[in-house]
Amino acid sequence: MTEWHDAAATDALGDDEVMGLSIAGVPVALFRQEGAFFALHDLCSHGAARLSDGFVENGCVECPLHQGLVDIRSGAPCSAPITEPVRSYPVRVVGDRVEIALDL
Amino acid sequence: MTAMPESETTCVVVGGGQAAAWIARTLRTEGFAGRLVLIGEEPHWPYERPALSKAFLQGTGSVEAITLLNATLAAEARIECWLGQPVTSVDREARVVTTADGRSVAYDTLFLATGGRARRLPGLDSVPAERVHTLRTLTDSERLRGALAGAKRLLVLGGGWIGLEVTATARGFGVEVTVVEVAPRLCARTMPPVVSDWLHTLHESHGVRMVTGVGVAGIAATAGGVAVTLADGGRLEADQLLLGIGIEPEVGLAAAMGLALDDGIVVDAQGRTSDPRIFAAGDVARHPNAFAGASLRLESWANAQNQAIVAARAALGGTGVYADIPWFWSDQYGMNMQMLGVPGLGTRAVARGRPEAGNGCWLMLDDTGVAVGAVAVNATRDLRVLRKLLENGRAPLPDAWADTATPVQRLPSRPNVRMD
Repeated sequence: MTEWHDAAATDALGDDEVMGLSIAGVPVALFRQEGAFFALHDLCSHGAARLSDGFVENGCVECPLHQGLVDIRSGAPCSAPITEPVRSYPVRVVGDRVEIALDL
Repeated sequence: MTAMPESETTCVVVGGGQAAAWIARTLRTEGFAGRLVLIGEEPHWPYERPALSKAFLQGTGSVEAITLLNATLAAEARIECWLGQPVTSVDREARVVTTADGRSVAYDTLFLATGGRARRLPGLDSVPAERVHTLRTLTDSERLRGALAGAKRLLVLGGGWIGLEVTATARGFGVEVTVVEVAPRLCARTMPPVVSDWLHTLHESHGVRMVTGVGVAGIAATAGGVAVTLADGGRLEADQLLLGIGIEPEVGLAAAMGLALDDGIVVDAQGRTSDPRIFAAGDVARHPNAFAGASLRLESWANAQNQAIVAARAALGGTGVYADIPWFWSDQYGMNMQMLGVPGLGTRAVARGRPEAGNGCWLMLDDTGVAVGAVAVNATRDLRVLRKLLENGRAPLPDAWADTATPVQRLPSRPNVRMD
């Protein structure tokens, strides 16, 4: 079932920043884009790399190992070598906290 | 010029590696509707090679994890794959490709992604084949893994990237390793002395015996293995021998076709050869590199992928050029190294952090102060930010680069031009 989990304070991230979290054992990369928050599974769908170690630019995160691009808002692959989407998690803001929904 | 192919036209890709797979995949994703034939010499489906000296050799990687095209994907994308079939001739007038078993196919556009062949040394005939290894193909890696499982001592001839990665993997198995490099230092072709020295120390700290600046005078079989005589009279014995002395670009076909060659097939910034119907990409292609200001033939994963994509798009009428700054990586003893630009051209190293201690990045400047490249050790973000600056024709101020109190994203920069 889907459950909301507390992830971070809203002021913990600036725009175009990313942080890696472990939520109920699930690696999550939390992004902030134009004030809004987005969460992706923190593992590149191509290789064993953390997207939270990646480089954020133009709405995409670039995998630190192979430079493939993933759309931060959807998890969709945007450039080679990534061909499979990365799982995207629902995010909401409650007060000054960011929460992430996980299916556990 | 090749016009946008109609549905009855045929594209043929000669080669079965990473570049070949990305050419074929890109042609389809960019809308090519005609016949598409990929002809590979290896029996395997196209795969990525980096893991062959690392995870795959170690036994922790799978074939699936490195495969770029399989029967399902090929069927979906309507890519005819002729595997295990060397191409024996290409008739440029008739535009026909013929394979060793006599199959032939006519092309409108041809791509050569023939890669390279691991160099060997003369005088190996007397040594049993099962004791001598090269590392280029999946088959090579499987064979070497099997050999290392029963080996106590490995002798690596060649202190380049392949030799060092295999060395690190073999040390992980507990195999004793000696590396012999004829040049005075490791990775001398691509790296500045500061990086060579660090690699030397790193490997010695993991128990590797390093012999640099000494050539090989002879190789002979012994009762239980291989013996190498060095030019200085020294003698080394081992159970297994790896030749890590580079590749020769596979240009036999291109030479027979009369295409322009220069240590590889000469291509323009779109991957086009001296015949406008024929493109080349990957390890075999020498391209004009804007960042280096010179023509380069790169043997890297990123080059194989990205040059191939540009060439496939160009064949369909695309106007994009291949203008990436050279970039590759290595993994040894759990450390990730990333190399950007042409660091070997640098004469002054400015360290950010402590790369020699496993966390930092050397920025390499030439005599005129121009940033020519960088080498990062477990510092991917530093390198990525630097790449962005260099792509924009800028370079960090060296003093700021060395000051880790300044966040990498906020480094003051200047135009990356001569300072005199």
